[in-house]
Amino acid sequence: MADPDRPWTAFYGPDVRTEIEAPSYRNLPEMIRAVAKTYGAARAFTCCLPNGMNGTLSFTQIDEMSDALAVYLREVAGLAAGDRVALQMPNCLAFPVAAFAVLKAGCVLVNVNPLYTAEEMAKQFEDAEPHALIIVDMFADKIPQATSGHPIPNVIVTRVAEFFPVMPKGIVGLVQKYWDRSVKPVEVAHIRLPEALEAGRSHIAKDRVQVDLYHQAIASDDIAVLQYTGGTTGMPKGAMLTHGNLIVNMEQAMALMVGALDKGREVALTALPLYHIFAFTVNLLGFYWLGARNILIPNPRPISNLKRALENYKITWMSGVNTLFRALCHEHWFLDTPPKHLKFAGAGGMALQSAVAARWREITGAEVVQGYGLTETSPVLTFEPLGKPREGTIGIPLPSTDLACFAEDGARLPAGEIGELGARGPQVMKGYWQKPDETAKAMNGDWFLTGDIAVMDHDGYVRIVDRKKDLVVVSGFNVYPNEVEDVLAAHPAVREAAVIGVPDEATGEAVKAFIVSADPSLDTNAVRAFCRDHLTGYKVPKRVEFRDALPKSNVGKILRKDLRAEALTQTAAQTAAEPAAQAAAD
Amino acid sequence: MVGPLEQAVLALMIFVIMLGMGASLTPRDFYLALKRPQGLAIGLISQYVFMPFIGFLLISFLPLTPAIAVGVLIMACMPGGTTSNMFTYFSKGNLALSVLMTVTATVFGVVLIPIILVLYASALDLRIPGENIIITLILLLVPVAIGMVLRRLNANAGAVTEFMGSVLALVFIAFLVVTWVPRNWQFLMETLPATYVAAIALGVLGIAIGYAFARVLRLHPRNARTVALETGIQNGPLAIAIIAFTFTGTEAQSYMAVPALYALFIVIISTLVTLIFRRANTAAEQKLPDGLL
Repeated sequence: MADPDRPWTAFYGPDVRTEIEAPSYRNLPEMIRAVAKTYGAARAFTCCLPNGMNGTLSFTQIDEMSDALAVYLREVAGLAAGDRVALQMPNCLAFPVAAFAVLKAGCVLVNVNPLYTAEEMAKQFEDAEPHALIIVDMFADKIPQATSGHPIPNVIVTRVAEFFPVMPKGIVGLVQKYWDRSVKPVEVAHIRLPEALEAGRSHIAKDRVQVDLYHQAIASDDIAVLQYTGGTTGMPKGAMLTHGNLIVNMEQAMALMVGALDKGREVALTALPLYHIFAFTVNLLGFYWLGARNILIPNPRPISNLKRALENYKITWMSGVNTLFRALCHEHWFLDTPPKHLKFAGAGGMALQSAVAARWREITGAEVVQGYGLTETSPVLTFEPLGKPREGTIGIPLPSTDLACFAEDGARLPAGEIGELGARGPQVMKGYWQKPDETAKAMNGDWFLTGDIAVMDHDGYVRIVDRKKDLVVVSGFNVYPNEVEDVLAAHPAVREAAVIGVPDEATGEAVKAFIVSADPSLDTNAVRAFCRDHLTGYKVPKRVEFRDALPKSNVGKILRKDLRAEALTQTAAQTAAEPAAQAAAD
Repeated sequence: MVGPLEQAVLALMIFVIMLGMGASLTPRDFYLALKRPQGLAIGLISQYVFMPFIGFLLISFLPLTPAIAVGVLIMACMPGGTTSNMFTYFSKGNLALSVLMTVTATVFGVVLIPIILVLYASALDLRIPGENIIITLILLLVPVAIGMVLRRLNANAGAVTEFMGSVLALVFIAFLVVTWVPRNWQFLMETLPATYVAAIALGVLGIAIGYAFARVLRLHPRNARTVALETGIQNGPLAIAIIAFTFTGTEAQSYMAVPALYALFIVIISTLVTLIFRRANTAAEQKLPDGLL
């Protein structure tokens, strides 16, 4: 019998627990250790490069190495519990080692997008004030500029092929150094990851350091990760995700799949970046917890980079975003040899287009299940129950999660009425790091307000109808118009600029800039090139339109909503015109 | 022209290169190429119908001596060899299809080459040296099979072998060109322009017509690139062996002019074509937005 307050539990599968309120472990290090004990010598992580070269670490190795690095951070680098450690790397074997080490050391992990420009890194470092940075050599050239405002005393440098066998590691090193020239010189004092591990190991041997003492006192309410998301003011905000938040969300998300997955036997393709909260919780934590083997892909671009991994490993599960599934469905090698062992795939980050989902099912014969969530909610809030998706919805709430819509005045609305979607559950963050005002704005009592305008069906299925904030979501990454507008305004030839999100077939939404130019020779390419110097790729406007003036309110504020309405009518007109043009052509 | 030691070194290089090529393949690649045999059929038609006809046109319209003309015809009738596999690999073509085309063309060649030659040069009685055919096949299939097994056993061993094989292939290509020119300087100076035209045009037209034919029949660009290279690139050493087997003395020398020149220019032509094909491949790649990952 379904809970009358949570009618959606009627759609849960027979194996799904309806209540997952408290985490099964006190903190993440406890979970990491317990899992390593259970699965021991089994393979935990394999990093597979586009040419098939790979490295693998077992559960035991990950456990031992993260212990050694935790000891290095505490004993040699001199970090204290609660100190922040920034991690800036693509998917590679060093990621789980470093992330688990930071947590075991009782420190707070700060995930940084490795593709960030030095300016974007600097903003995040100024806010998080990390005491150490663990970074892959390909991005090390940005450190001096990124840390000029907030110097980071400890820098640990690693490489994509870290922990690979000697031959492939050597070849990858030579190719990166002399062929791609992707390895950058490190111009700050630093230590290499293997040396840091050695230093940690010798401390453990000499002083009999007990790593567990570092995190014994950590409670589920303590901060584990600062996960950054853009801010409306252009300054990043760090969502404080606690050990409890992450463990519970991992358990909630995995609970849905428990019936379909075998502990210790799954092989998960991890092509989404682990620094993004979706893959962090679901792949790095969730599949590790399940004793699965995670196949880490450092760079899925071009999409053919996934070919060798899909050929060489019997992938049973993968996580992706709409863009990734869509791209795979267009690759001839994927169509020729779809993964035979795939049980199902999880989609998040952005809306999964129903055409893409249908094509995926047709090609692979496996289900693709969509979830919805935000950085602030660790991230998963809803999922589509297996076999019971409902077109146009984001599914139903996870176990122990409540969703409801709220009116402008903060009053809770009954089902069927449109309002801002609020979420309540054990996965909701503790708040924004050192931004109590922002936290207060985002909360309505114990409800976190998502900024999405939604409506809930009477039985619990949720539809997103609009967005309250000016946020643009590009393939699962948040872009705040203010940040892009600030950069545009800094261009000498730009008199005024406004940025909005427009619908985009490939990325869900795309950034579009409207510019009033002071120099008629300014063109789209120049604008994009200028943005690229200051912003990471996904924030760079995909489209640029030059205007003589921008719509403004009577107090002179640029009206983004008018531009958005215009853009939507344009898109609608185009979509309407296309079949007509097609018909004319026939 | 080539001593036994050099021949052994070359054979060893080809073996290692093909080991690397094999390590880039899986049995599924062959299964897929066989499942849709139209690619293979188109390739064989292109190889044994168009190529000899191109040779015939060239000898009809170019002022060539009879011995040179025979050289052009023999060259035009050859199947592809390991070189075509190598360039297909670098062109990001369908290597499994390329290997299958080489194998089938070589096997059928035993019967087809004499028939075609009778058709275009009725008086010519060529002997196809069976042992060369067998060596060609062994030098192709054995390392490819070992490479595939290696990859199956250990993905890293496969990837490292593939890397070594491809580096060696580049060295091999450079080696062919660099050693060929000084060794044959005198020959290059004495050769008539029409012979040059024949030797170069054979490869260029073969690749162009192979590509056009495959595209007209709607093969995927990747397979069309494979058919093109497989059609245009002939097994030079096999031609030389056939000539050496059939003719003797100075007679053999003049028959060999075109195969020798062809061997030099096809490497240069194929390198250029490979660069074009690679660019086309990159241009056709899906652009993933910067955002995702």
